[in-house]
Amino acid sequence: MTNAASPTPVGEFEPKIVAYVCNWCTYLGADLAGTNRLEYPANVRIIRLPCTGRIDFNLIVKAFEIGADAVLVSGCHPGDCHYTSGNYHARRRWILFRELLATLGIETERVHFAWISAAEGKKFQQVISEITSQTRDLGPYHAYREICEV
Amino acid sequence: MARIGVLTCWCGENIARNVDVQSVAEQAAQLPGVRCSRVHKYMCSDPGQKLIRDTIAAERLDGVVIASCSPHMHLKTFRKAAEHASLNPYLVEMANIREHCSWVHPERSRATAKAVDLIRVAVAKVRHNRALEPIQVPVTRKVLVVGGGVAGIQAALDIADAGVPVVLVEREPSIGGKMAGLSETFPTLDCSQCILTPRMVEVAQHPNITLYTCSDVEQVEGYVGNFQVTIRKRARYIDIDKCTGCGQCWSVCPSKKTPSEFDYGLGARTAIYAPFPQAVPARPVIDRDACLRLTKGRCGVCVKKCQADAIRFEDQDELVREDIGAIIVATGYQLYEIGKPDDRGRIAGYGEYGYGRYPDVISSLQFERLVSASGPTGGEIRRPSDGTVPKTVVFLSCVGSRDNAKGLSYCSKICCMVNAKHTMLYKHKVHDGQAHVFYMDIRAGGKNYDEFVRRAIEQDGAHYHRGRVSKITQEDGRLIVRGVDTLAGEPLTIAADLVVLAAAMRPATGVEELAQKVNVSYDEFGFLCESHPKLRPVETNAAGVFVCGACQGPKDIPESVTQASAAAGKVLMMFSRDRLYREPEIAHVQESACAGCFSCRRGCPYHAIDPAEIRDRQGQLVRRVARVNPGLCMGCGTCVALCLSKSIDLEGFSEQQVYAMVESLR
Amino acid sequence: MLQPLRETCRRLLQDGTVQVVIGYGQAVRAVEPYPVFITDPDDVGQLVWNEQCRTNLVKYLLRKEIRVLGKPAIVVKGCDERAIVVLEQESQIDRSQIVVIGVACDGMAEPRCEVCDAHQPRFADHTIGHATNVAQPAERRYAALCEFLEQPPSDRMAYWKAELERCVKCYACRQACPLCYCERCIVEKNRPTCLDTSATLKGNFAWHIVRAFHLASRCVGCDQCSRVCPEGIDLRLVNLSMARASEASFGHRSGTDPQAELVLGNYSQQDQEHFIR
Repeated sequence: MTNAASPTPVGEFEPKIVAYVCNWCTYLGADLAGTNRLEYPANVRIIRLPCTGRIDFNLIVKAFEIGADAVLVSGCHPGDCHYTSGNYHARRRWILFRELLATLGIETERVHFAWISAAEGKKFQQVISEITSQTRDLGPYHAYREICEV
Repeated sequence: MARIGVLTCWCGENIARNVDVQSVAEQAAQLPGVRCSRVHKYMCSDPGQKLIRDTIAAERLDGVVIASCSPHMHLKTFRKAAEHASLNPYLVEMANIREHCSWVHPERSRATAKAVDLIRVAVAKVRHNRALEPIQVPVTRKVLVVGGGVAGIQAALDIADAGVPVVLVEREPSIGGKMAGLSETFPTLDCSQCILTPRMVEVAQHPNITLYTCSDVEQVEGYVGNFQVTIRKRARYIDIDKCTGCGQCWSVCPSKKTPSEFDYGLGARTAIYAPFPQAVPARPVIDRDACLRLTKGRCGVCVKKCQADAIRFEDQDELVREDIGAIIVATGYQLYEIGKPDDRGRIAGYGEYGYGRYPDVISSLQFERLVSASGPTGGEIRRPSDGTVPKTVVFLSCVGSRDNAKGLSYCSKICCMVNAKHTMLYKHKVHDGQAHVFYMDIRAGGKNYDEFVRRAIEQDGAHYHRGRVSKITQEDGRLIVRGVDTLAGEPLTIAADLVVLAAAMRPATGVEELAQKVNVSYDEFGFLCESHPKLRPVETNAAGVFVCGACQGPKDIPESVTQASAAAGKVLMMFSRDRLYREPEIAHVQESACAGCFSCRRGCPYHAIDPAEIRDRQGQLVRRVARVNPGLCMGCGTCVALCLSKSIDLEGFSEQQVYAMVESLR
Repeated sequence: MLQPLRETCRRLLQDGTVQVVIGYGQAVRAVEPYPVFITDPDDVGQLVWNEQCRTNLVKYLLRKEIRVLGKPAIVVKGCDERAIVVLEQESQIDRSQIVVIGVACDGMAEPRCEVCDAHQPRFADHTIGHATNVAQPAERRYAALCEFLEQPPSDRMAYWKAELERCVKCYACRQACPLCYCERCIVEKNRPTCLDTSATLKGNFAWHIVRAFHLASRCVGCDQCSRVCPEGIDLRLVNLSMARASEASFGHRSGTDPQAELVLGNYSQQDQEHFIR
């Protein structure tokens, strides 16, 4: 596995990744990755929210507006939601929102969803590493930045 | 907020190894709104916390960001420190530069840059934090326990013994539940009634317990700490205060043919009856459908016989209102009716076993009555059809349980032990008899449980056959049980005198209606859902409503009792202060903007949102809007994402805070 | 068709069942009929019914100036009445306080009429006429969208950039939509301003994403938004994409079943999640 953060060559594209995570599963999963010293690329910026149920679709748009090259939304596995059903509501929202993004031609491969539990530090590391390297391959999200240029 | 202090922690080498703390602190000082930036080797230590307090005081800070470890680790610590310095604790945020940064990013320059970003996000958020006060909810210190089986009794007594008043509502004329009808209990074979009836009497005599039998919960209003419960006391036709329970009335009652509920139809009872001798309250009840007076206007011999003048044919249902602070649901179980397909079509029914057609095919609870000294046969095992002593008895496990094709997918958990117990009780009473058990697996986890099953097999000689029974027929007064022994790999036919079916445990009828009244969710089988399967096993998502016993899932007596005491403990904890203090990070509706579509209400996992009416000065209804009940909201924010006009917002994670956080990453 | 329609309306006004009839009236100069609000039974002659009655009048049920006129009767087509169903599900109207006059419709020569399966009103209190056109098969409904989605994402993006470039943020799409009923639209919210209100490409994308998603699983496909757009921006594709997703994933067609659970705010444990890691 090549997910350890190897020193980055100067000048290589460094994607900006915004991660909206729930407080009780994925945030703790990221904590566990830290406790276990599981290295991953430093491109992700976590925004902690109580529950995936709180993560409005507009936040995904907002992330692209501020120049994110990829967005991750992550929370508790089905059945594990701290608030019992916030993640189910979120899942429904994503099912529909992905379709809208696709119709608008927004690159859905830049919008990632994951269930990462508090015990899945390893999975958090993997997901962030994969997203970072995929986004590196995709390159900067010029298309949306062009939209945002006034 | 413009006087924000950023305090960055070295965490010894934990942060400082990969993050240039000094540089981070310098950059943080430049962030908009930041008044000062300080560092400390160990921010959570006493000197570190003193630094926080001193900085808040010296710089008159109105917001604090601690850049250190995970908020799950120390947010509470630092908020408390701020409180000591007279800063509202909700004006403190953390930037997690250890778990999310120094520990996972060994490259110093990148880790340092990320740490600054994380602080930037936290500063952006804290600029919009508001001072919050814990939400206080008054509490009525009185508990409603629904269901007077062993779980309800245990919970009621635990709470009442702690000095808190309890209202115990039981649907049947007597408390005691299923356990009162059991003969002996596994794994000790102690007499069920000998354990239970003293507890029942305690309930009846307890000064802190108000007992309503023949009663149902009609309506539940309000919320945690402040429920208003309406209880329907169904007409009993007996004045239980006047009645002495002498029994004269039922000895003369001419209507004697009603199948006894307590004996599961194996015996008969009169129209005026006490369900069983040790009933609590020890008072009779009149079955309005069987009583000749109530159905045909004739008879009335019981009135003549009653010395106490306690019979009231004009009795009516009565509604009683109680103010309640917490509710414990302990409605227990019933056995699945083996012969019939299930009402919701889930169970196809086991018609091939002939239950209901062959009198000598009975359920395990019926068998309990046959071996019980207080049962219809006086404790002698005699089969229902001809009263002879059965010499061969076949016990079937998993009738309805663990059968995806035609039954329920779950394991009813107690049947393996029940079957083992029954073979032993049988052998102890019919020494020359032979018990057979058809089983799928033997699940005997628990203290002394497996030993108990081994004893049934090894000492009491029960024949265990691993396999299922395909059909039972009746030939010449015997039951021909056709099954298969999968270990021997051959079909097995046993001519039996009696067959006992260990039918699946299902939630009691009516539990779903009750669940809806108290806003507790239930699973596809009707079992009530606990809040968290491991950490909150007796709480539910309806604040102030707790569950215990078999209404939450199949369980045996010890487990039910454990859970009941747990629920009682939770209630007493809740009542230990005269007010409930709840986290203030909850949702609020801006009513002037709310369109009243109630999508928030649909999605709220806690039923914390109710419609509220906005009226003008003349009292005319202007419109309906959503309103959050602060006693129920848990602060998940699902409503915020569902609200199209964003008229609902979540304290602590408000739209403004979250957007500021994202914007700060620009 | 017209005569029974006028008669029904006259009767409803005359016997006091309703105080106002919301219907189509003939414009003096324009070809397209315009909405009329008839309160006098003698004025029912103003009502028209022809192949130009495209407008979905349901929006007017929500207008405060119409509400003060009293209990309304409204003339709807089979497609329009779906909006009434949704409004009732979303607690915006009391259906018992509205008389719905459904008029059978064989199409208004719009693209959506070619795939229509609601020629005959289903939930009206009074139904006028019988549609002769048969319901079109479901797979035709989303044909335009499917064709659009065959293009690569970059082309789709380019298409929308060209379309939304023209948006002037007049919010006519919102004003005309029978399901946009918020007291205060999210674009008017400040502290924080949830989305960029400028009529720049960024602001236009932000608005149209929000508009489309706020109608996800709710839009009844009346195309009123596209019809009223002064710049001729065609919003049908985004609306169709939400409708197709909610039908495909949740078996939900907005406004076709008053008893159906709404999609958002409810959930099923069986909802798909192939896209979630």
